[in-house]
Amino acid sequence: MSTHAESIGLADGTAADGAVHEENYLSAKGIASWLTTVDHKRIGIMYLIAVLLSFFAGGVFALLIRTELLFPGQTIMTADQYNQAFTLHGAIMVFLFIIPSIPAALGNFFLPIMIGAKDVAFPRLNLASLYIWCIGAVFSLVAIISGSVDTGWTFYTPYSSRASGAVLWMAMGIFILGFSSILTGVNFVTTVHKMRAKGLHWSRLPLFVWGMYATAVIQVLATPVLAITLLLLLVEKTTGLGIFDPALGGDPVLFQHFFWFYSHPAVYIMILPGMAIVSEIIAAFSRRKPFGYTYIALSSVAIALLGFLVWGHHMFTAGMSEYAVMVFSGLTMLVAIPSGVKVFNWIATLYKGSITLTTPMLYALSFIALFSIGGLTGIFLGTLSVDIFLHDTYFVVAHFHYVMVGGTVIAFIGGLHYWWSKMTGKVYSERYAKVAWALIFVGFNVTFLSQFVLGSRGMARRYFDYLDHFHTLHGFSSIGSYILGLGFVVLFFVLLHSLVKGEKAGPNPWNLAGYEWLTTSPPDAHNFATEFVAERGPYDYHLLDENIDEAAAKA
Amino acid sequence: MELSTYQLPAQLSTYAAEVDWLYYVIFWISVAFFVGIVGVMGYFVVRYRSKPGVRAKKTGHSNTLEVAWTVLPLILLIVLFHWGFQSYVRGSVAPSSSLDIRVRGAQWLWEFRHPNGMEELNEVTLPVGTPIRFIMSSGDVLHSFFVPDFRVKQDVVPGRYSTLWFEATKTGKVQAYCTEYCGAPEGATGNVGHSAMLATLNIVDEETYEKFLEKGPAAPEGLSEAEWGKELVEKSGCRTCHGVDGASQMPAPNFKGLYMREEKMTSGKTIVADENYIRESILQPQAKIVSGYENLLMPPYKFGEAQLDAIIAYIKELSQE
Ligand code: HEC
Ligand SMILES: [Cu+2]
Repeated sequence: MSTHAESIGLADGTAADGAVHEENYLSAKGIASWLTTVDHKRIGIMYLIAVLLSFFAGGVFALLIRTELLFPGQTIMTADQYNQAFTLHGAIMVFLFIIPSIPAALGNFFLPIMIGAKDVAFPRLNLASLYIWCIGAVFSLVAIISGSVDTGWTFYTPYSSRASGAVLWMAMGIFILGFSSILTGVNFVTTVHKMRAKGLHWSRLPLFVWGMYATAVIQVLATPVLAITLLLLLVEKTTGLGIFDPALGGDPVLFQHFFWFYSHPAVYIMILPGMAIVSEIIAAFSRRKPFGYTYIALSSVAIALLGFLVWGHHMFTAGMSEYAVMVFSGLTMLVAIPSGVKVFNWIATLYKGSITLTTPMLYALSFIALFSIGGLTGIFLGTLSVDIFLHDTYFVVAHFHYVMVGGTVIAFIGGLHYWWSKMTGKVYSERYAKVAWALIFVGFNVTFLSQFVLGSRGMARRYFDYLDHFHTLHGFSSIGSYILGLGFVVLFFVLLHSLVKGEKAGPNPWNLAGYEWLTTSPPDAHNFATEFVAERGPYDYHLLDENIDEAAAKA
Repeated sequence: MELSTYQLPAQLSTYAAEVDWLYYVIFWISVAFFVGIVGVMGYFVVRYRSKPGVRAKKTGHSNTLEVAWTVLPLILLIVLFHWGFQSYVRGSVAPSSSLDIRVRGAQWLWEFRHPNGMEELNEVTLPVGTPIRFIMSSGDVLHSFFVPDFRVKQDVVPGRYSTLWFEATKTGKVQAYCTEYCGAPEGATGNVGHSAMLATLNIVDEETYEKFLEKGPAAPEGLSEAEWGKELVEKSGCRTCHGVDGASQMPAPNFKGLYMREEKMTSGKTIVADENYIRESILQPQAKIVSGYENLLMPPYKFGEAQLDAIIAYIKELSQE
């Protein structure tokens, strides 16, 4: 009897001797113990701090942008400074924050635990990836401080090939960041293939792991193209060899092909991890195995593959041939299918579940609503003649913020709450966390819904100034951004408070079935005190519930 | 037919209505999906809120459902794709009877050349009811020509020509924008650079257009000659190099006090800046170069007669103040 209970994680075997075994991955003290650690959890935590700092920097630039646009005309900065502000906002948010956010922070921490491994396949490479990230960040910082990176995060040539030297630093920085991303990817692919615990076959793999796996594949395959692109840009800038600059005999549209060949798949590097987290949270707080588990898992892989074939949809107005445009439009439409499949399956998971609206669940449900808007507006942009009209307007800005922020960032924060107690061993205040959620949700929608209308009315993007008739909507958007900012500040204090004053968390506060809840909070340095064997699936709530009933009957 | 809605600007070209129609089809499909998704989600959340003693039902599976929600949206998407492509082709292939206008984008201005060689800057006079084809190129970086009221947009790429066509359905002024980011001058204040790279399309009837081609544009109503001259100087970008306030921090001679000023040329001669000299300085700046300013070349400009008069009137006025 007791072995059965233990195997499904109810008997709190690990938690019970938690008292005996106070040691956990945070126990070793001192800076050196952190800087030289090869523990994936510690690396995940350091990544988490790093990406949160980047998020803060990117957020400050966002607020500067929205404040400049609060009124028509010059408000707080010059046009040139504005161009730098949106460039840095974009570059920091994309390359320093979103791309590493979920995989490198939460993924690093939980992927090995969720497959019952002791660590990732190449722990040293994992630490190297963090250091490489730091070097890349330093390069970017130099570029920011020298203060003249104004190319937009897309670095389109020939503007960027003629711009100042600081652009070189930024490009070098991103080139280096790319390698940290590749190393994380290689590590995850290998880890998922080679390190799964006994009994954890592919059909039992938690969906978070499936999502990380699909992401890692893209990271490994696409990121080198970014490296090649930036390298070619550097070669052109330093040697004057004509590659992208027509004045030197190059082709500026070639750069766009190169750039988007990476950056479109990168969109999926950003969103797949978000979907992965949402799949976990929805299942957890409906207390049901995800409906269509196989379809959700395989749709991640489908998105990863299709994601490689649609880069041209960023260039419909760039002067490609009509046939190329047609093919890219058609393929783009196809991407909507696996995304839709996920949404429908999540909703079907709720059906006849036992739903609790915890903070992570609120984020997951918000994700479904906001990502749906992001996805549906993507159909406007995939439809050719409508895209020609909307391209490079605020409609596009709003669309990708719904996907990147409404999607990825919301999922990231949801995941942060979901696993907070596991990572830190502390409980956060549900009540204030919900206040932060409400501010973020409202603020986000006020900011970006108005941008859809701005765009469809013809407001071009990357504009320092605008004609008077756009003022009201810009005003709304700026005010929304302040609400959003306030939400993040509240969130920060909620989490800080939990670290300082939060109650100690139990190993499984919500009584969930996922493998990560079988270990202590915070987890043991080796993840599990004893060797982990998967004797049931990570979503077998029926077994868990039966067992609770049994225990109750006995008592 | 002028139909501007809350979401979309006025429809001022023959092409606008079909784009809008498709836009609204997608809009309502999206609304339906969104309401469906969020509605069902909301219902489930309320209906299946956890209750003591009630367990979640074990998850089943249904291949029928999975196939249904894969295939049905797919059909819809194929229809939209086809529709969008058809209308894209109509929007990108200009009728053979089009009037060709040469357009050049540069940081940060738009130059237009009519078939008879007449040029305009940041403003272009065009006939209503005639298909017009812009043949566009860029002198420096990427730009993009966007006219929301016409629902057309095309990138302007250095090193190649790109085209854009439309047929206006109403006379009046129509706003055009640059929508490919192209920078801003360092240190300058006010609205400069990419977001100031606007152009006005002056849509007029056939007859006015013919007259325009002969004589160049006439002063806009309600502006004195000198006021129009001031506007032309501002709009044509002269102010990037020339000051008008007598202070001499700019890279080119100041306009204030220029009229009838005695100046030394690089050729060694001294001239008096009269009307003819100013006119020549604008049309052929390299004919005589003011000494001390050899390092910066002023580009030649083309203006209609009335415009030249207006600019000269403005410079005269500046010198009288
Ligand atoms: C790229 C900078 C630049 C721009 C733009 C420019 N100019 Fe000039 N301009 C110069 C320079 C340099 C000189 C002096 C050298 C010379 O005489 O060519 C000059 C000379 C002149 C002169 C003669 C001044 C004198 O002191 O004799 C006139 C008149 C003039 N420009 C008018 C214009 C007008 C009108 C425009 C706009 C339609 C314009 N310029 C745009 C650079 C510029
Ligand atoms: Cu431009």
